[in-house]
Amino acid sequence: MLRQIAISCLVAALALPATARTRPHYGGTLRVEVERDPWQRPGGLARSLVLDGLTTMSSDGTAQPALAIEWKSENDDHRWQFRLRPGVHFHDGTPLNSSTVVAALTDLCGAACPWTVAHAVGSSVVFTSDSALPNLPELLAGNDYRIALAGAGNPLTAPIGTGPFQFTAFTNGVLTLSANDNCWQGRPFLDAVEVHVHRAVRDQWLDLSVGRADLVEVPAEQLREAHDQHLSVVASPPVSLLAVTISDSGALANPNLRAAIALAVDRSALSNVIFQKQGEITASLLPAEVTGYSFLFPADRDLSKAHELRGGVTPPTLTIIAESGAAMQLAAQRIALNLRDAGFNVQVANASAPQHIDLTLRRLTLESNQPQPALESMLRAAGLAIPVLERTPEGLYKIERQVLDTHMLIPLLYLPRAYAIGGRVRDLHLSVDGTPQLADVSLSDIQPEAAP
Amino acid sequence: MEPRSGLRRVLRFAVLLLSAAGLAGFSANAAATQWEKPAAALAEQIAAILGPAQAQIIIRNNSQIPTEEIPAIRRLLEQDLKARGIQASGTESANIIHVTLSENLRERLWVAEIVEGNETRLAMVHVEAVSEQQQAPVSGLTLRKQTVITTMQPVLAALETANNLVVIEPEEIVIYAHSADGWKEQSRVGIGQKKPLARDPRAVIYPLPNGQGFEASVAGMSCTGTPQPSADWNLHCRESDDPWFLTPPQPTQNGGAADMNIQVAPLRAFYNSARDFFTGVVTPSMGADLPPFYTAVLLLRSDGGGLLLNGIDGKVLFAEGGKLKSVSGARDWGSDFAALRSGCGAGTQIVASGSGEAVADSLRAYELPAVEAIPASAPLTMDGTITALWSGADDKSIFVVVRKTAAPGHTDQYEVDRVAANCN
Repeated sequence: MLRQIAISCLVAALALPATARTRPHYGGTLRVEVERDPWQRPGGLARSLVLDGLTTMSSDGTAQPALAIEWKSENDDHRWQFRLRPGVHFHDGTPLNSSTVVAALTDLCGAACPWTVAHAVGSSVVFTSDSALPNLPELLAGNDYRIALAGAGNPLTAPIGTGPFQFTAFTNGVLTLSANDNCWQGRPFLDAVEVHVHRAVRDQWLDLSVGRADLVEVPAEQLREAHDQHLSVVASPPVSLLAVTISDSGALANPNLRAAIALAVDRSALSNVIFQKQGEITASLLPAEVTGYSFLFPADRDLSKAHELRGGVTPPTLTIIAESGAAMQLAAQRIALNLRDAGFNVQVANASAPQHIDLTLRRLTLESNQPQPALESMLRAAGLAIPVLERTPEGLYKIERQVLDTHMLIPLLYLPRAYAIGGRVRDLHLSVDGTPQLADVSLSDIQPEAAP
Repeated sequence: MEPRSGLRRVLRFAVLLLSAAGLAGFSANAAATQWEKPAAALAEQIAAILGPAQAQIIIRNNSQIPTEEIPAIRRLLEQDLKARGIQASGTESANIIHVTLSENLRERLWVAEIVEGNETRLAMVHVEAVSEQQQAPVSGLTLRKQTVITTMQPVLAALETANNLVVIEPEEIVIYAHSADGWKEQSRVGIGQKKPLARDPRAVIYPLPNGQGFEASVAGMSCTGTPQPSADWNLHCRESDDPWFLTPPQPTQNGGAADMNIQVAPLRAFYNSARDFFTGVVTPSMGADLPPFYTAVLLLRSDGGGLLLNGIDGKVLFAEGGKLKSVSGARDWGSDFAALRSGCGAGTQIVASGSGEAVADSLRAYELPAVEAIPASAPLTMDGTITALWSGADDKSIFVVVRKTAAPGHTDQYEVDRVAANCN
């Protein structure tokens, strides 16, 4: 009898009309938790939600129209003209025009801009430069060149932009961004995004597990653990380059010592022990997926060659600092140990203490998967000189070889960016640099509004 | 076993073996032909660096080239090097040529590291990547697709007229004209929306009764177009909150009605352009209170007919005889479906997009004899995400827009495909 009831229930359940997947629903609040400042440059999540660039990066790494709808270069890429999209307004209602864009760019980079002068000409912004800027459209798609209204809001904590979300409040460690109904790209599906900032990753995962968060971070070194815990993970290809920048002043002005340091670092140990085999070992600036020639840069440790290059010179104690993050600190300590094996005395220092820094362990973001703009933006981020970039693989290889032969930048590992999401999050995609594209995300448990 | 039948079997086996060998030979030859140019280019560069000499050649495959094609590549390379004075040798040679068959997201890259004593020099050639073809599965009723156009801009709807293809993009109407290479863009006109667009914009387009022009609805706007004798088009858009057509503007035979000689009055529905769904208010009334929905298809049967709709809550419903009935078996349906008058089976099927979030969406035909959807074809993979789906002017084919965003290294593309059915 019981069996018959059970079978009847099963049959009844199977006969019930099924609920199909729908188009995305509008509404709801996405709860995001992050460890670092969401406004930081580059890569801050809030920046990508609130601010737009003149261009945006397509999935193949080429520049696509955003606040600028078309552009052209003249004079061998020394002069660029970007025509602005009409009818775009900042979140406070101020119209976007060439003057506001020029003021915003001046605020952003001032004298350190890649161009010499940017000026407003009618509905266009014109960039002129002493050196050719063949990749300017791709460069302007980068996180560093997003447009915020100058002289309004707080540029560091509450900038006013044109993006799909606008700053609403920052209370008790929670940044609230609300949907921009007048967004030129269309209103986002979500009504709001709440970003709980400075939240430790362990706490983020706990909040996700009890349904207090919808999207949390998964550092590369914890990807395996996330899979073990059956978290629903969305990961980018390797886009974050772990690298050491080396000062060419002080004890390390000697290029042989820098070359010895490059040979002494044990990338395999970093990858296996600290980053749990989630990174791709690399000795090239651009990953194999982008160039195809990264195998030409050997990544093996060679201690005897390192000793040979040091030539018996024992430099004074060197200092190494690392960008924030527990894994970065551990990695810096391991590099210090590696260098000790090659006869260097290295001390891990506090990044905030003012002192001479010899080595800095940092992450550089691969902002494009087109080799030329990717290399240029990476060299800019590392503070290195930008050579004239050639378009052929042979030419790019030569440039990369030249840069790496200075031994001022040592690529170590390529790491993915990853996030874990709750069950109600739909259609989360990551952009080329691994940033979550939240304007296209919707929530599955939202009852659609009958009218806006 | 009879001697004759045994002989027949042996002969058949021999023929099969010969065919297989022939096919294998053909396949190897095809592979070799593909690599002729890059092998020659690389050999030329190597010869320019090394000059006439003996060298050990070591090939490493870092690419997706199948392992069985490597011997053919080696053969080609050795032949080309020999023709340029470089003789392949064993380990006794002081010269070594390390050839790495590599690749990146866009292309293949073949690199030769030419080692002469302590010096290593490089040669590189790049080879265009080859896209692989996929075949649709075959079953009882087979869906087949044909690409109409591919564009970089999102396509919301499209209509083939006598001489043109009219495409609705979010902010523009684009007219394509026939050319030797297929449809070629002829002109584009701004729609001129004053209100901001929604994130998930949609549109519908129907032919005018004379079959020459069109009438289209886009969020907050209504557009008409008529071709001029000069081959230009007279396009006009105005702000409008008028209901959108769910069926062609003129009385027509739809969704199987042709077989039954039933005239169908045009059906329109109010559209919430800020949230991208139909409000549930249709005109003329269907006699039942309809919920808000994403898609609706008029489905006629010999015993009457009704409106099949996909509610914004994901439920598939059939409004018939003033009643709203739930449709079972539609768990795998996405938000888009359309009627296809294939002439197979019951004559008309519903073709629905898949419910997956996958980058490779699919279409599948279903019969709907009552209020249960029964699969009538195997899924047809569309190599992307389906963003729009509608019936063609004669209902004998459907049109589908596929957004292809999945492949890194390639530009996002929107493909308009025509999908029809073969009865098996």
